[in-house]
Amino acid sequence: MPLNFNDFGIDIASMAGSLETRLAATRQAGFSQAMIAATDIVGHPVSTEAAVQAIHDSGLRITGLETLRDFEGLSGKLHGYKVDVAKSMLQLCSRIGARLLLTEASVLAHADTDPEKIARDLRKLAFLALPMGIRIAFKGLSGSRTVRDFPAAAEIVSLADCPSLGLAIDAFDIIAAGVPLDDLDLVFPEQIFLVQLSDFMLQEIRSVDEQAATEAHFRVFPGEGAHSEAIARFIVKLEEIGYFGDYSFDVYNTDYLQMPAETIADRARRAAEWLGETVLRRTLPVPNMERLCAAKQIRRA
Amino acid sequence: MNKETDRESVPEPPNPIGMDGIEYIEFTTSKPQALGGILERMGFRLVARHRSREVELYRQGSMNLVVNSHPADISRTVTPVECPALSAIAIRVRDADAAYQRALHLGAWEVPFHARAIELNIPAIHGVGESLIYFVDRYDEFSIFDIDFRAIPGVDPHPPAINEMNFFGVVQYVGDDRTRDWSEFYGQIFGFRPLADSVRFGIMPKGLVLQSPCTRFYLQLIEPDSAGQYSPMEEHLQRIGLGTPDVIATTRELEKRGIDFLSTDMVHTTERGALTAAMLGGVMFELVHTQDGK
Repeated sequence: MPLNFNDFGIDIASMAGSLETRLAATRQAGFSQAMIAATDIVGHPVSTEAAVQAIHDSGLRITGLETLRDFEGLSGKLHGYKVDVAKSMLQLCSRIGARLLLTEASVLAHADTDPEKIARDLRKLAFLALPMGIRIAFKGLSGSRTVRDFPAAAEIVSLADCPSLGLAIDAFDIIAAGVPLDDLDLVFPEQIFLVQLSDFMLQEIRSVDEQAATEAHFRVFPGEGAHSEAIARFIVKLEEIGYFGDYSFDVYNTDYLQMPAETIADRARRAAEWLGETVLRRTLPVPNMERLCAAKQIRRA
Repeated sequence: MNKETDRESVPEPPNPIGMDGIEYIEFTTSKPQALGGILERMGFRLVARHRSREVELYRQGSMNLVVNSHPADISRTVTPVECPALSAIAIRVRDADAAYQRALHLGAWEVPFHARAIELNIPAIHGVGESLIYFVDRYDEFSIFDIDFRAIPGVDPHPPAINEMNFFGVVQYVGDDRTRDWSEFYGQIFGFRPLADSVRFGIMPKGLVLQSPCTRFYLQLIEPDSAGQYSPMEEHLQRIGLGTPDVIATTRELEKRGIDFLSTDMVHTTERGALTAAMLGGVMFELVHTQDGK
């Protein structure tokens, strides 16, 4: 297994089965971390507490909790309501020992489009998360009116200028929308908190509708799709600019959800090995805190 | 104000909430008498008790220390509760409600009323770990202690300080890579400013020192030495720093009263400062040389 295997984790939304089944599959495939959706915790058939316990018992490091949506750009009562939602998610995040909350750009039609207001709201969110040691990873969405992609998200993050607010970048968005890789030069590597990885089967995506359909149905693991080279270039570029955070396989695919979790976790492992051995030659593991903690946890477990 | 033409951002005033020093610092413990014994040796006097809660006020010169052993409050403190924890800092401000609303607006967490040690409606936000930060604006003509507390009969309500000791600051342990986060937190919400690395006080030079906007109080943020020593939830307020113009004389006086100071190759008393041994499983005080009780 390559030295840098621990940099990769699975987003367990990519797998079917109970929370426990998916955590076990992740672990059995050799992964040390997993991204978890809040719905998987609060939707646990026994209780939220049982889900939290299952996560702790798995021994996995939690890459982050997902997803806070439509937070920014609201005012008055709506803003207050969203702050409450955010607080609740942060508390959940803290309970499962996660140090990152994935936050997607608002797709609400009535959300304010003023970048100053958006930045101010996200800064507030980062402040809510700060005492708990949780970082906010903000992600542009193709369906958002204001923050459609990572360059736009990067501008907002720079404007907000808060150390606990950074970016989540999804390889799918970059490749599907044909974003030039040089755009990554505009981003400080320490501002990237999370990179999500997936490939897809279609050669090209011609419309926003097609992108949405592909997002939901045809994502596959890196190395399995039509854009292996593009993914390889993307990751090499990230390494060049100095990114040393986590990679999460976010491969939501309705076909995969009809296959056993173990099968999907194995595919994830193959993808991690392909990336680790042939693309991502992190010659020495960077003494990143998260990784050291994870390594310690695994040794203890 | 015209938003269109006045695009230049107005710089935040250097003291955005009118901070004016520290009203009190709070310990929480299930062993108030044991802690009280230590505070007495440190020169504090028990001067008042809360009217209805198990909360005591110790005082020395300008310093108020609140010892909270009210059972309802203990559950929220870091375990083990036998070891007293620094559980709150009460900051004097120009307008407590305004400072509080401003903090909430920036993203601070409000503290429900029942979780507070003192019954008066003193607004509070969550600080590091399980600790709280209060905003107090009644401290000039009468204080919160005049209302909620009963003086202990026959005790000088204003016992003088040993060698002009005063609150110098608080040391906060933070997680790895968390100094910038906390510096941002204290900077935005209270107006604390980081000092240059060349400016150092006392004998414990590690970490980042933040100066309060009233310039009389310091927070020292210290990350763990080795990776992974503290998880985020173990971040906490670690010790109180006491300023005194003569560290050596103050140390001698406190030693006479039964306080031990560390004396190792790495940490020992000098004119610049001193550090007590840990008491009751972790309570420490640091002495820091300051001019004329400032």
